[in-house]
Amino acid sequence: MKIVLTIISLLAFIGVNAQQSEDLVPQEAASVFSINNINLLQKVSLDQLVQYEFMEEVQQELFDGSTSGKTIKDSGIDFDQKLNIFMGQADDYLVSGMTFGIVNKDQLFEVFDDFEPIESNYEGVEFYSSYFNRIAIKGNLGILYRVLPTGNRVDDLTDSIWYAQGNGYQWDDRYYEDEYYYDEEYEGWTREESLIEFTEEMETEENTTTPIDEEDNLPEAADDPTIKTYYELRDSVEMTLQNEFMNAFCENIFVKGNVLTKSSPEFKNQLNSQSEGTFFIDNSKNLKTNHDFAFMIRKYPSLYDRINELYTGNTMSGEIHINDNSIDMNLETKYSEKLGSVYKEMTNSKFDKSVLKYIPEDNQSFFTYNVDLRKAYQEAFNVILPIFTESESREFSTLGLTIELLDEFMNKDALFDSYKGSMFGSFNGIKKVQTTKIIWDYDDETFDYIEKEVGAEEDMPIFVFGFSTDRHDIPEKIMKHLCKHMNTFHNMGDYYMVDNAILNASPLYIINKNGLFIYTNDESLAKNNSDGYGKNAISKKQVKKGMKGGAVYLHADLSKAIAELPKEIFNGREKEMIDVFRGKSGSLELSSSKSTKSGTSFNLSYQFEGEYDNSGTYILDLINSMYVISK
Amino acid sequence: MKYLRVLILALSALSATGCIEIIDDLTLNMDGTGTFKYNINLSSSKVKINSILALDSLDGKRVPSIGEIKQKINRLNEQLKSESGISNVSLTADYTNYVFKFSCDFASLAELQSAIKTIALSENSGKAIPELDHKWLIFSGTQLNRSVPEITIKKSKEIKSADRLLLKEGSYTSITRFELEIVKFDNDQAKVSANKKAIMLRTDPYSLTQNPSQLDNTIYLKKSE
Repeated sequence: MKIVLTIISLLAFIGVNAQQSEDLVPQEAASVFSINNINLLQKVSLDQLVQYEFMEEVQQELFDGSTSGKTIKDSGIDFDQKLNIFMGQADDYLVSGMTFGIVNKDQLFEVFDDFEPIESNYEGVEFYSSYFNRIAIKGNLGILYRVLPTGNRVDDLTDSIWYAQGNGYQWDDRYYEDEYYYDEEYEGWTREESLIEFTEEMETEENTTTPIDEEDNLPEAADDPTIKTYYELRDSVEMTLQNEFMNAFCENIFVKGNVLTKSSPEFKNQLNSQSEGTFFIDNSKNLKTNHDFAFMIRKYPSLYDRINELYTGNTMSGEIHINDNSIDMNLETKYSEKLGSVYKEMTNSKFDKSVLKYIPEDNQSFFTYNVDLRKAYQEAFNVILPIFTESESREFSTLGLTIELLDEFMNKDALFDSYKGSMFGSFNGIKKVQTTKIIWDYDDETFDYIEKEVGAEEDMPIFVFGFSTDRHDIPEKIMKHLCKHMNTFHNMGDYYMVDNAILNASPLYIINKNGLFIYTNDESLAKNNSDGYGKNAISKKQVKKGMKGGAVYLHADLSKAIAELPKEIFNGREKEMIDVFRGKSGSLELSSSKSTKSGTSFNLSYQFEGEYDNSGTYILDLINSMYVISK
Repeated sequence: MKYLRVLILALSALSATGCIEIIDDLTLNMDGTGTFKYNINLSSSKVKINSILALDSLDGKRVPSIGEIKQKINRLNEQLKSESGISNVSLTADYTNYVFKFSCDFASLAELQSAIKTIALSENSGKAIPELDHKWLIFSGTQLNRSVPEITIKKSKEIKSADRLLLKEGSYTSITRFELEIVKFDNDQAKVSANKKAIMLRTDPYSLTQNPSQLDNTIYLKKSE
């Protein structure tokens, strides 16, 4: 019996103390994205996986054919463990990477085939190195990481050594006079064109017998090979610092046990989630390591401390749930009590029901934003102003005094009654609008042609956007003034019209009544329904969550709205977000809770019809979106 | 508000169909001199153009401002004026309706083609374009061989297939005018004016990208007395 109890106790001890992949997430991590149920990823090919931005650190190693034709299942990764992607920053270095469980080391190194074993200074830990990254393996856990010294640290140290050696200013001013120096405005050239031309010209020079001008502005090797140029010195400093910081990073994890699960109770708590994916972003860390504050830390430490105090505990954590017909993302934002008091007052406002009659029932998407700027201003005045007025900095103190004086002299009732802070908008689809066009009219006798202006129709997105106001008289004064002095503004009685204001082709209508100031290009709303869409307006039931919830509410019929967004105009980061929903019919709803002094909850719910083929890609899409947003 | 504006612009850029109307108009005198006109009418797509111009970039490429477009047009104008055998250069642009009209007189077809070649080379940073060696206008006194310059064919093939489809909405009109009457022509799609001194070929820009030779024509003139 004793033996049985001993075995049970031992097993229980091992169970409690067995390390998990998340236990290797370093304490420097400011953002962690965990895929809890990586079984979902079994169908995802490795080639597909490495395309995601959150895999960018390992792309150099994996885009060499080693992933070809393989799925994650073939990678030797343990599907019973979480996959945690992290990035963060210490005072002097940046870290990024991922932690995972391992079931088959041979398979793992078939995928990571560029890694070679290197000597380990830590008992029980194996190290592997590639040109860019390292992998450390402890038991059945792995961490793939990259540690890079910050540019500022490298520059500071290099400059110190450089000047201490008796050298002069290292930058050659002629660089900025170089004809190839990138100037966005220069004859409409793009950076890419300039670089291509520069490179091509270099190649031309290399392929001819024309010698390169000796005075050409290129870094030169020193005459004495034992003396380093500035750039050689900088490379050496960078490499030395990288090794030093890499050792500190490993020492923290493998010797001191300084990992995020120990330093952040919020992160540890989130690991208990049974959802398919989670993310954790510690915004206060980003503030601490932001080099823009370096000057303030040195010159005005108490001012910095108070700002830091304001942002302490500022975290975002979320869960992604994949259900049969929906994907839900719950996001919790946490902040300090002082900052929380401002948010709490801001969202402590009644939903303005008058907006409902201006949102048509057949809209493709709409949002409401419901805040009380007056209360938020007052609370921010009480909480934030003392940071400036009590600051040791003359500049910040003067700024504080200016704000105090403005507060005394300003008519806050007029200001915050004119613009209360609440607003709404709706996108009502594409409609034909009347425009004009030029045609060429031919004479059959000679084929000579003359220009004629004729009526035409073009497609135009129809929108309504407005904000709440209790002081119609103030915008009215502005509108009347504009109508009197500008011939494109017209007072039409119930509404105002601005000629060709939308893309120089169709009018903008302004409605200033019923507690709202509205902009729209919907002619029928302005001309026939300036009091709202009536029975064709959205019902209270459809905005129930928005009315009962916090500041933000958004609803979109994705099959109609997102599909019409042109991909080309968005940058990579925005595309990532949009692509999550593109081509997937359903509806999207974003809502928020009332803010408390400690936090606000947001819920993003994507409801869709039919089944999904590969839920793994959904979770990767969402994780990737959060990754690019937090970068 | 910024995002609302971006959304409106984005939707406009997508929703409006691409509609371009082009006229190339060549007047050829018996002594080989003449006038060349090239007109582009984008007024049917002005909502789309305004929305694109309001964007910073499209499809990863920077969108030029009206000011930059004006600068470019002025520079082309100046370059053409300095070309040998080219005179009375006129380049007008209507930025409300997006109608652009180019016109110049030439001393000979060879000098016209040479000037266009020089401009194209200059725009290509001086790098050789073999397609520019193609002679697309050959006049013998009573016979004109007209074809589409090979460089146009090359450039049209660079247009993305999705964008090419938008060109179906537009029109391309090629007009050739003479002092003498036209007696015969090879392209049976061509239409002769009532006074028999002008000939016209019309197609849409999409068809032209698919079959550039559809505007090729040999025109025979009545011999002068």
